[in-house]
Amino acid sequence: MTATTVDHELIPRRGGARHYLLHAGWIRAIWMTALFGAFGFGLTAGLRWWGDWQPIFKWTPIVLVSILVCAPLGFLAGIGTFDYWARYAIGSPTVPDDHSSHGATSWKDYFKVNTDHKVIGVQYLVTTMVFFVIGGMLALLVRAELAKPGMQYVDPQTYNGLFSVHASLMIFLFVIPAFAGLANFAVPLMLGAPDMAFPRLNALSFWLLPIAGVMMLSSFVVPGGAFACGWTGYAPLCSSHQPLGAVFFNQGVQWAGASSVMTALNFLVTIITMRAPGMTFWRMPLLVWANFTTSLLVVVATPFIAGSQFFSMFDHVMHTAFFDPTNGGYALGYQHIFWFYSHPAVYIMMLPGFGIVSEVISVFSRKPIFGYRLMALSLMAIVVLGFSVWAHHMFVSGMASYLRVPMMITTLLIAVPTGIKIFSWLATMWEGKLHFNTPMLFALGFLSMFVIGGLSGVMLGAVPIDIHVSDTYFIVAHIHYVLFGGSVFTIFAGMYYWFPKMTGRMYNERLGKLHFWLTFVGFNLTFFPMHLVGMEGMPRRVADYLPKFAGLNMFISLASFGLGMSTIVFLYNMITSWRSGPIAPSNPWRGMTLEWQVSSPPPIFNFDVIPQVVGSPYEYGVPGAQHAILTPARATEAEVPVQ
Amino acid sequence: MRRGSIASLIGLGIVAGGIAAAVALALPWLPTPASNEADRIDPLFWFVIIICIVVFAAVIAVMAYSIIHFRAAPDDLSDGPPIHGHTNLEIIWTLIPTLLVTAIGIVSAVVLSRNDALGANVLRVNVTAQQYAWSFSYPEANGLTSGVLRLPKDRSVLLTFHSKDVIHSFWVPEFSQKQDTVPGITTTLHITPNRLGTYPVICTELCGLGHSVMRTHAIVMTPAAFTKWLHSQATAVASPDAGVAGAAVFKNNQCSTCHTLAAAGASGKVGPDLDKLVTYAQTAGQPLATFIRQSIVDPNAYVEKGYPKSVMPATFGSALSKQQLDSLVQYLISSSKKG
Repeated sequence: MTATTVDHELIPRRGGARHYLLHAGWIRAIWMTALFGAFGFGLTAGLRWWGDWQPIFKWTPIVLVSILVCAPLGFLAGIGTFDYWARYAIGSPTVPDDHSSHGATSWKDYFKVNTDHKVIGVQYLVTTMVFFVIGGMLALLVRAELAKPGMQYVDPQTYNGLFSVHASLMIFLFVIPAFAGLANFAVPLMLGAPDMAFPRLNALSFWLLPIAGVMMLSSFVVPGGAFACGWTGYAPLCSSHQPLGAVFFNQGVQWAGASSVMTALNFLVTIITMRAPGMTFWRMPLLVWANFTTSLLVVVATPFIAGSQFFSMFDHVMHTAFFDPTNGGYALGYQHIFWFYSHPAVYIMMLPGFGIVSEVISVFSRKPIFGYRLMALSLMAIVVLGFSVWAHHMFVSGMASYLRVPMMITTLLIAVPTGIKIFSWLATMWEGKLHFNTPMLFALGFLSMFVIGGLSGVMLGAVPIDIHVSDTYFIVAHIHYVLFGGSVFTIFAGMYYWFPKMTGRMYNERLGKLHFWLTFVGFNLTFFPMHLVGMEGMPRRVADYLPKFAGLNMFISLASFGLGMSTIVFLYNMITSWRSGPIAPSNPWRGMTLEWQVSSPPPIFNFDVIPQVVGSPYEYGVPGAQHAILTPARATEAEVPVQ
Repeated sequence: MRRGSIASLIGLGIVAGGIAAAVALALPWLPTPASNEADRIDPLFWFVIIICIVVFAAVIAVMAYSIIHFRAAPDDLSDGPPIHGHTNLEIIWTLIPTLLVTAIGIVSAVVLSRNDALGANVLRVNVTAQQYAWSFSYPEANGLTSGVLRLPKDRSVLLTFHSKDVIHSFWVPEFSQKQDTVPGITTTLHITPNRLGTYPVICTELCGLGHSVMRTHAIVMTPAAFTKWLHSQATAVASPDAGVAGAAVFKNNQCSTCHTLAAAGASGKVGPDLDKLVTYAQTAGQPLATFIRQSIVDPNAYVEKGYPKSVMPATFGSALSKQQLDSLVQYLISSSKKG
């Protein structure tokens, strides 16, 4: 049998209703979602009928099985993430070299299952930006309600839903997957690899994400309202005292978590096995190191949050009593399991940013990274220490009191490797030739804001101070300095930095700088005063507060609206530049890492020839130094610097 | 490095540190302490703040100096010097932070152990938290309960917490002490109030729809006034007059947090207006007394339109004694008929 005949059998004739109904895509996704949902409904109701469990139509288990488990699987099957594996499983002919779903030639290809890591990276980034904007709007609604004491616009159930969904979207649908998107795009290129190790798994990981996001958002429209127990979902409030919306949170986390774990495994295998010849571990760019360490954290820690959410959901739906003390459960058990993931998750949301900033500062300072090996080792130190500090979220929880001092010591010690990184970035800039393009501005914004977030973290590590400020607005300020001043600034740095490589076009530098300054000023005006109201006595997660905090809250709310507006500048710049920005050269920043040695955007399989890595990726200022040798045709391409 | 650049670096550090110090000093960060524990946390806070300001100033100075002095012209395509590292420098900036955080750890551990150490003649108070009310009982006064925490000045107080439903957290900012109340386990907190006054008691752990209104007061009294109060209250609750006893039950159980009742001067808006109880009972089609009793013991049996289900804790039925419940129902009947 020749290859042609196989192709003929596999790909149905284009056009015709049969093709559109049966071929992977949105139409098949719609009917398969409905079909699988109906199956879940029938299965649950049928089993209840068979077992004579009254009432037969009990909605909590039916919604769980039908809408939160079966329908998403139907969507994934319909959109086509399982097609190859399904053919393989039933013994149909598969074509390993069929690249019809690889790479993008039109905008429509971004709405299909695609196995190209560059397309998936862009899919991730666009999806996460959508959830960033939605999550930001939820935050603005929270700030509108908080502008004045008392209740103005929303009822308590809606208010508690607003901040819970805001945090869940920002964490699970923005920061974590935005880093996964940037790394998806950059890591295989930096390694000199043609793609990720498991491209089909990579596509599946992406398509799990919109499911998680839609699930969390749609909890607003189910009877009883959105899940309203905060993104931490503490038991027994979330497991026994919440409406159906809580199950949407429990399950949303599972889909997002599954996506994270699959991506992390993919990164680990890719980084360990697919480095170009000569790319030893000590020649890997720090972005690759950062994603290597992050993936270790994800793989080890994420199953714990999955467990905590399953137990919580079982308590809610099946009346188990993992965390229900009235039936012998242990309420604090939830917090221990939850934070055993969620503290490392702070580093999952930070280490990839460290990687981005290392790339950006080195390139725009025109100097090698200062203390490269210590930078990589400090990432590893954070991974190890990061698993030994979780109970610092629980100093006032009532856990065994002897745990507090050891957890305080490890918490304070983790400041040391973090400090090493900050000092090394400063030393990298020292005596450099600094160019303040937008990525560099965001990297420097990160550096200054993260120092404040890190120092307030040291204050929180000291148990007696933590006892005073725990669960207050001081915590809200601290996490936003870490996750917004830290993670979000680095995500912006990374998006501007690789924008030319991703799209083949340059963004507008003037608008980029405007976006930076609006964000930087708006961010500080919004979040800095929160330290003060928290210290003075305003708890977090409240819709109403003592009148003495009215002035500062009004100020914070006004500043937050300004901060929200800054995003419009960013979106305008990204959209217009992608459509009609000037064509980008292959290496606009004169970087040495491998992604800059190929065209913008890169060829479909990244490298026409396998690069031979011969040295460090940061040898700026070393005469004649090279990171890798590509074939002569590429190396002579004109390099036009863009300022 | 040239001498000029060192001077310039130090100058930038002084400016950055000065601004940070001004922010730290000019704003009223911590509430005025009202307990021995807060008095110990206050200096610890300043000790850590000073270290933070020094580190912050150093980082910002180096960054600002680099931004000013190492800015490259747009057409300058040259690279910086290929400096790959400096072992001694790296050892220094590993060791100094280690020493600083070790110092913070030692001082914190000392403060923590002193704050947890009970004094002589400890006053024990049992605290019960439920959605969305605090209740304080005094074993010294035969279990007298109150919705307001009253404490004598300068006496070591050990609060023992129980929660009836979900996790709550007890915080008085002026005492700088905080403790979660966890269903199923008993937690404790030590406070030694040392300043007379009335302070807010705030729930800081999200506990449901009424979380932001789960507040009450802590009143620090002179020991003599405290003893006098204990005696007078113990008498009121035991009063044979149902009106007096019912009013005490209403007050001690914090009903006013969520309900309006003119007779008790209550103006809560979370739950239904109790001045309209007569109308509500008619709508529900029940006799007034039966309706009130059922609404307290089993709040979800009938939910007044416009109010969410389960917003009223279902725990009062078991929390109140039969006598307390009778006097409360009696009190609500007589006060709502007036309104």
